[in-house]
Amino acid sequence: MNLRLVCLILAAALLLTACSSPPPPTAAPADLLAAIQARGTLRISTDPAYPPQSELVPEAKRVANSKCASDERTASEFSGFDIDAAVEIARRLGVEPCFVTPDWTLITGGNWAGRWDLSVGSMTITPERLEKLYFSQPYYTTPAAFFVHTDSTRFAAAADLSGATIGGCSGCTYEFYVDGSLAIPGESIDFVVKNAAFVGYESDLPALQDLSLGDGVRLDAVITALPTGVEAIGNGLPVKQLGDPVYFEYLAAAFDRASSLDTRSFQAQVNAAIQAMHADGALKTLSEKYYGVDLASAAGKFDLALLGQ
Amino acid sequence: MALPTTAQEAVYVQTARDLLAQEQRRQLWHALKISMVVAALLLVVALLLSLLRLDFAYIRQNAGFVTGGLLLTIGVSLASILFASILGLLGALGRLSRNPVALGVSGFYISLIRGTPLLVQIYIIYLGLPQIGQQISLMGYPQIGDLLILTAIQSGILALSVNYGAYMTEIFRAGILAVSSGQWQAAAALGMGKGMTLRHIVLPQAIRTVIPAIGNQFIAMQKDSTLVSIMGIWEITYRANRLARRESKFMEMFLLAAALYWVLTILSEWLQRKLEDRMARSERR
Repeated sequence: MNLRLVCLILAAALLLTACSSPPPPTAAPADLLAAIQARGTLRISTDPAYPPQSELVPEAKRVANSKCASDERTASEFSGFDIDAAVEIARRLGVEPCFVTPDWTLITGGNWAGRWDLSVGSMTITPERLEKLYFSQPYYTTPAAFFVHTDSTRFAAAADLSGATIGGCSGCTYEFYVDGSLAIPGESIDFVVKNAAFVGYESDLPALQDLSLGDGVRLDAVITALPTGVEAIGNGLPVKQLGDPVYFEYLAAAFDRASSLDTRSFQAQVNAAIQAMHADGALKTLSEKYYGVDLASAAGKFDLALLGQ
Repeated sequence: MALPTTAQEAVYVQTARDLLAQEQRRQLWHALKISMVVAALLLVVALLLSLLRLDFAYIRQNAGFVTGGLLLTIGVSLASILFASILGLLGALGRLSRNPVALGVSGFYISLIRGTPLLVQIYIIYLGLPQIGQQISLMGYPQIGDLLILTAIQSGILALSVNYGAYMTEIFRAGILAVSSGQWQAAAALGMGKGMTLRHIVLPQAIRTVIPAIGNQFIAMQKDSTLVSIMGIWEITYRANRLARRESKFMEMFLLAAALYWVLTILSEWLQRKLEDRMARSERR
């Protein structure tokens, strides 16, 4: 009897593999946009671990008469730039935003299995992520800029920093910009600084602190995110921005490449919504509200076709 | 032997009373000493915590939100310990059986699950199963494929059950082996079959033996259930962690979470003692 059972299991396994070898033609997958419209809700992933982009509102009540499923959260339970942008996208699609909160690695890895439709999580467009995800029109940017000591008069523009000692977060895009190897999908980068000595720090703040010791004491300049530098100046560090941003990291909403539904019409709708939000200044207003500067406008000029996705 | 006089009787009674009172005093004193040690330890912990300069207003303000995850933690742990017990029992029966299929399956299950970390198992169940499901759907069996796409809570309970079930196999095996072989022989002499003996004679006795160990696993599981927060389940740790990020109040929120788990553990210990007492009634009679 046992032998019969073993044979049965083996036969079943054999059958399964036999079936799998010639992939049978499948019908065109159903449309994600149609599913979202039928459901009346847009399921968005967010990780409320990153203020001011996304954070919890602990005393919040669930939106009354919400169409969101019981294991989904409503917009009232979060706050932040990403949340406001996501709510606005959903509003322009004419559906209710509902949020799920998987870990960041589960969002960037793709294969969402239809558990949520869209990520609005300030995700930087990178070549690795492009293998798993489709990106939308970017909704804002992280500009990278150089900062020098307030006493410094030696440099007038970023190009003057060639041969200087520049600090920054090691392993970040800033290091790759200084050594001339940075590649950002859809962007042609002008490496204006040549032959600079890069000093790596574990994060941006220690570099800025070393710069504030004095002009050229340890560093001639620091390269970091524009909002990080602006915040440091606001906190009283004696540094100033040198010239315009040298490159932008584009932050976009993302779709799952492995979705079993057709996402193309949904992507088109989301892109149209984001472009409209750029055109009527909604994103610029949000950026100024949360970051004090306009980080959005440069993202509206990004040519999505260059990603070739 | 002459009967004792009334006077002698009174002396015996008095001596007995004295001895009893002395024993009670000794026990009371002993309990008092233990409480003093615990009080001293609590004082040391309180002193150390006071060095952290905690923001108690922040803790009070957000205690309600973090405590809101208590029911999920208890629910996930209870469901998982239930399924894990079933898996553990089946695994133990497999290990003790002479059937090659049962032996092979249970041996493979225990080795594979005990040999891999719980966190990895959670990732595989949450991320991997749906991908297998999609392939099965593409082969033309969407009913089977959709079954493999589990929600976060389902994935969490499945991972915890399968993981703890493998470890609990050994608990149940020990419990069954602890029932003396004489019981099997006596049952056989009465004409009972193996299955009947197992159900009516051996398991009721084995369960009593394994209750403390299952309680121990349940207490451990409450803490391991924090791992399901990576799938976005808002249990105690998730709420504490995400709230801590708002104003960098990490110690405040983690200590609050720790206190909640501790209370939960003390309650579980009490529950386990009650259950043990109840199971031991037949012994006392």
